[in-house]
Order: sequence, then C-alpha cells, then structure tokens
Amino acid sequence: MKGRWNWRAVKGLSAFVYLAMMLPLLVVVLNSFHPDRIPTFPPKSLSIRWYEAFLADQMLIDALVFSTKIAALAAIGCGIVGTLTALGFVRYDFPLKKGLVIAVLSPMLVPPVIIGLASTMFFGEVGLSRGTLWIATMHVLIGLPYAFLVIRSRLYLFDETLEEAAMTLGASRLRTFREITFPIIAPSILTGMVLAFVISFGEFTATQFWVVGSKTTVPVVIYTMLETLITPKVNVLATFVLVVTIAIPAIGMLIQRQLTATSE
Amino acid sequence: MSTPNTSVGAEVSRIKNRLAEHRYLRLLVAPGVGLLWVTFFLFAPLGIIVLFSFYGAGEYGAIVQEFTLANYERFVANPIYHTIIAKSFGIGVVTTLIVLPLGYSLGYFLARSDTKYKPLLLGLVVVQFWVPIIIRTYAWISILGRRGVVNQILMMGSIITEPLQLLYTMHGMLIGLVVSLMPFMILPVYSAVSTIDDDIIQAAKTLGASDARAFYEVTLPLSWPGVVSGILFTFIIAAGAFIAPQLLGGPGERMIAPVIADVFLRDFNWPFAAALSLIYFLLIGVSLYIFTRKADLEEALEGTAL
Repeated sequence: MKGRWNWRAVKGLSAFVYLAMMLPLLVVVLNSFHPDRIPTFPPKSLSIRWYEAFLADQMLIDALVFSTKIAALAAIGCGIVGTLTALGFVRYDFPLKKGLVIAVLSPMLVPPVIIGLASTMFFGEVGLSRGTLWIATMHVLIGLPYAFLVIRSRLYLFDETLEEAAMTLGASRLRTFREITFPIIAPSILTGMVLAFVISFGEFTATQFWVVGSKTTVPVVIYTMLETLITPKVNVLATFVLVVTIAIPAIGMLIQRQLTATSE
Repeated sequence: MSTPNTSVGAEVSRIKNRLAEHRYLRLLVAPGVGLLWVTFFLFAPLGIIVLFSFYGAGEYGAIVQEFTLANYERFVANPIYHTIIAKSFGIGVVTTLIVLPLGYSLGYFLARSDTKYKPLLLGLVVVQFWVPIIIRTYAWISILGRRGVVNQILMMGSIITEPLQLLYTMHGMLIGLVVSLMPFMILPVYSAVSTIDDDIIQAAKTLGASDARAFYEVTLPLSWPGVVSGILFTFIIAAGAFIAPQLLGGPGERMIAPVIADVFLRDFNWPFAAALSLIYFLLIGVSLYIFTRKADLEEALEGTAL
C-alpha cells in the first residue's frame, strides 16, 4: 500500500511529532520533583520538597477546588443544554436550520479574548457580579459546541422506530425518553460532559477577564505565577492538573464503555 | 383507594403529553435552549462591543457615553496596530503551514499503520486535547532555556559550544504554537484517512499510478475534509494566540490577543479595547467568509469532536 521510502518518512516525522508533544508533559512532571529552584537538566536528584510547599499553600489548593467546581458545573450545564439542543436540531425541522447550527457552534469561532472582554462589558451592564455563576455560565457557552456535536452525531444514528414502538405500547413521551432514548444516548452525553469538563478546566484566555480575588481558576494562577513570582510550586500545580485532566476523561471513557455495553 | 391519586396522575401525564406535543413549545424547549444561550452570552455581548467602541475614554478608565469615532481614528492613525494585526494573521498562516505536513503525517500514520500499539498511540494524541494549553506551552520555558533540555543535549553532543537563544524569540513562540495545535490537525486527518478504502488506492496503483501520484490524486483529495478542519482550527487559534506569545515570544512578538487584553485589563480603556476587538473580529469574519467559499464550515467544525 505504501512505498517503502515514503512510509519511512511518514514514520520518522510521526516519531518526531510524538517526541515534541510528549516532551513538555514529561518535563513538567520531572521538574516538579526537581530539588532546585531553577531546574536544570538532567536533575542530579529528586525531591518532594515542592510538593510539601504546595500542600502548605492554601491559595493553590483553593484554586484547584474552585476550578474543579466550575468544570463540574460546566459539564452539567453542557450535558443538559447540549442534549436538548442536539435533540431539537436532529428531530425537528425549522427555518434557517443550517445557519442556526453555525450560531450554536459559533463559540468555537469567536476568539476567546473577545468572548472574555465582551461578556465582561455585558455582565457589567446587566449588573451580575463576578464569581461562580458568571464563570460557569460562560464555560457552558465555550463547551456547548463540543457537547452539542458529540451528542448530535449519536442522535443521527438513532433508530427512531424504537421510540415509536414504545409509544405504541402505551408509554408516555416522558417515559419513552427516560427508558428508551436516554439510555441509548447516555454514553455520548457523558463524552460531551467530559469534554466540557476538560475545556473548562483548562480555559485561560477568556477566563482571565472573569476571575476575582479568591475565585480564581488554576490556569490563571499558573499564568500569574509564571509572570510574577517564579516558584517551582507551579510545576507541582501543573502536575496535579495533568493528573486531573487525564484521569477524569479516562474514567469517563471507562464508564462510557460500560454504559455502551449494557445498552446494546 | 388510590382513585384520586391515579386520576391526578393521569391528568398530569395527559397535560405533560399535550405540552410535549405542542409544536411551538417544543421548539422553545429543544433547540431554543442552546440558541438562547449563545444569544444571551455571546451575541448580546458582541452587540455591547459595538456600542462601547463608539464611546469615549475618560481618565482612569472612565467611560464617556457620548458618540465618538475617536477609537477608530486612533486605530487608523497608529500603524503599530496595523502591524500587530498583520503579524497575528501572518503567524496564524505560518503556524498552519508548519502544522499541516507534520500533523498530516501523524494522522496518516495512525490511520494506515497496522501496529498493535495503535490504541495507545491514538490515546497519546487525544491526551494532548485534554491537557490545558497553558501547561503544554509553559513547559517549553525550561526545555528551550539556555540551560534547558535542548541546549544541554546539543552541548553534550558537542554540536554547539554556546547555548542557543531559543526562548523569547519568534522561533520559541512558533515551537510552542505548532506543538500545542498539532492535535487539531492530527485527529481530523486520522478520521478522514481511516475512512478511505484501501482498495481504491490499490486500484490506482494497479492502473499504473506511482505511490506519489496515488497519494496526490486519491488519498489527499479524499482526506481533504480532515485537512480543511485542521486548517480552520489551527489558523484561528494561532492568530488569536495569547499564551505562547506571552510566555515564549520575544518583546517584539506582540500579537493582537495580548494587546487587546492589555488595553482592557491594564489601561482600563474599554472603548478602545472594544474597537480593536471589533476590527479583529471582522477580519476573522472575512477569513471565515473566504473559507466558506472553499469548504463547508459546519463540516469543518465537526472535525474535532470525534
């Protein structure tokens, strides 16, 4: 199927790209165990002193907790709004549908710096004060296109005769949704929610406009630490983020596999 | 004994059913939720930007609510802002041109390889999507620094004698951008190439096409939707980059997103920040318009949500 020489070039380039993508992640984890204030390569010994310093820093712990809370709210919000919107777009016909899909997807296209600034002006006019509700609402907006797309692509494959059969047998619409539709699309809703979670957890450019005082997210704290005080605790914080943003989706995928297995 | 309950229950479910069947209510409940969300939290704020861009800026971040063109005049009179915008779009193009061949190679490799480690290799790419860009970017500070991994390895191998200045340069910034945006090209290309039937490529070769020709005339056109999706995301995100220019770029590498944030968050000049945002937004709009003449926007946006 492939010329030997070309295939070697593809393999070589791929290995190079893998190296470039994995190197930053490995370096972050390695540096978090580096004993010195300014990490050198290769480290002469490993130490957990920055982990101790990290655990003693209440501000960093608070940021991790706040980010997790916001990301969980964003995931729930995207799960609900994404499912309803996807159901609406797949099941019903209405005018301007093609254009309205782009409207739902537009948070992907508007640069985050503009989303950040525009909503700051807007919420200022509306009179909402900065905090959990504000950030969570905006993170639902940013995650919505991803959740919507994932759930919609599952609904396209959905066999609607199953619903008709349930209703013919006397089930109400609500019961049909609860017992037929929902279990079948649940794995895709979970995927959408997990995506919304990691997007919210990592969003920086727009979020820097919305944080205030103690209600600040991890990426904003990391950025501030890098700009102002150079402290190796940032590597520990980044390592925790790495663990959270890899573990949560991985667990999600395991649950999803379980759900798919039981519903089919 | 349960008669009242049952009849109430039956009544409730009948009302629920009738509500559920009501056409307009259904439209409001279903697609309407998402549309309301983007209308309130995206389109209305964008409208506010237009309004603010015509306000005046007073001292200490005060906003003078009188119609003025001063912000646009300031933009037109200061070539520095034109340079910043041109540079941002230029960096968007350059990043895309580097990401395209590299990301395509990996996506193609993943789709065509028969290694048993494929799930693992695919997983390593997906993980890049999950880990926040700020972490994947700032890590380069200690990799590219004068005593960082790259310089140490090059010096140990005696390839160079003096450490290279990689950090705080255009090169450093491009490395950070290219690597962090790579998954946006890899995944759509992977999914596009894996749908291509191997028999079609074989047929082209049986008919006498060389490897190169089979690639350019069969594989590449068939994987084009994936490429288009990758180009769209890479370009838009790179042109609007904030973290890489701030953490890895030199002082000369001013890009539009950090400049707008500075005007807004440091100078507190909301009206001018609004005008800059609007100009930037319109130029993104023009790019998207050109894009839609060549490709389907919705299809391209679907590319990353796999």
